Amino acid sequence: MKRHLLMLLGLAGMSLAYTGCTKDPINNLSTDESRIYITDHDSSINFSNYKTFSISDSVAVIDNGNVEKQSDAVDSAYINAVTKYMEQEGYMLVSKEQNPDVGVDVNRIISTSTGVISYGDYWSDYDSYWDPYYWGYPDYGYYLPYAYSVYQIKEGAISIDMLDLKNAAQNKKINVIWTGLIRGEGLFDATVADSGVQALFEQSPYLKTN
Amino acid sequence: MKRFKIIFTVLGIMFISQSVSAQKNTFKLDIDYNYSLPVGGFKSDIVNDNSPRGFMGSLMYAFSDKISAGLGFGFQDYYQKYPRALYPLSKTQEVSAVLTNSIQTTPVLLKGEYFPLTGTYLKPYVSLGAGANIIDFNQYLGEFGSSQMNTKFLAQGGLGLMIPFKKFSASGFNIGANYNYAPYNENGYRDLSNLNFQAGVTINLK
Repeated sequence: MKRHLLMLLGLAGMSLAYTGCTKDPINNLSTDESRIYITDHDSSINFSNYKTFSISDSVAVIDNGNVEKQSDAVDSAYINAVTKYMEQEGYMLVSKEQNPDVGVDVNRIISTSTGVISYGDYWSDYDSYWDPYYWGYPDYGYYLPYAYSVYQIKEGAISIDMLDLKNAAQNKKINVIWTGLIRGEGLFDATVADSGVQALFEQSPYLKTN
Repeated sequence: MKRFKIIFTVLGIMFISQSVSAQKNTFKLDIDYNYSLPVGGFKSDIVNDNSPRGFMGSLMYAFSDKISAGLGFGFQDYYQKYPRALYPLSKTQEVSAVLTNSIQTTPVLLKGEYFPLTGTYLKPYVSLGAGANIIDFNQYLGEFGSSQMNTKFLAQGGLGLMIPFKKFSASGFNIGANYNYAPYNENGYRDLSNLNFQAGVTINLK
């Protein structure tokens, strides 16, 4: 009887170890720790050749392939943060009518499905998200000169793109020279915009233009 | 789901063996709590923290007072969260993330034990084992994870002490330590070797 009781207790302990004692990585992350910051750039570009920039006054919300432009408090917070850190890198803000060297846009990417979306998928419809006409180059398409990895998107992301307007006429296309992507929990919150954008710029020291 | 399959498999083997032991009366079941310390490349490259989450067990057939052989099994959960850092994803792409490694190992071994002293109350022993190490390796960048399941070789050497509940009893308390040599060689990681300390009970199955 005692032997069976010991065995039962042992087996119950083993079952508990299997099912209950595994430390869950997600539950042990804070909201800040859940976020990742990804940057990519065109390595052939010397960013010190670019001095001025213009930034879109609204954000493209790309929701499962559908797009609309909006500008609420969160969007404004991201646009203001990008402007702040671009200026800290030495770029001068000008209006888009003043022929900026760089165009900057901000996007919210939302996926309500559990499928896989890649940067490539996001970029495949970029012309419809950001009409080249917006930057004053209606005849040119966008071009992404470097490959992107594929990531699963569970909730949403913020992406920021730097576009080469200085050489658009010569290249006959608008090259994307830098992108930053923020993913994780609590992104669509005005209070986290500054720290998120700061993280993207801090891990891209090559962006300095002065 | 895969975890439940493993549970049912292990429990199935145990209950089948138990029914056999009831006929032979020469089986013993060992169930221990296990505290594991990653060593070598496992400690330096993957998980630095010790793991208090695990168990080990064995179902052994006693050929004599000195020699037993049977099946060893276990489970251990390893976890390590590293502070935010910058990791290269390609030549031009970088990610800043909190990296978490979460690894569950389930060794299933053929095992032998040797008891050098037979006439004493305390029964020290040495053990050797070799078999499969079922590894579930989960790595997270922030909340975004990837998972890889592998079965690799594992060799085990250990020593311990059986303390009978009463004189001449074949059941008793068990304490011990062992070293698991666990090569891995996946995704740039070399091994998951570890040092373990156990405490539990040995039950003679009559």
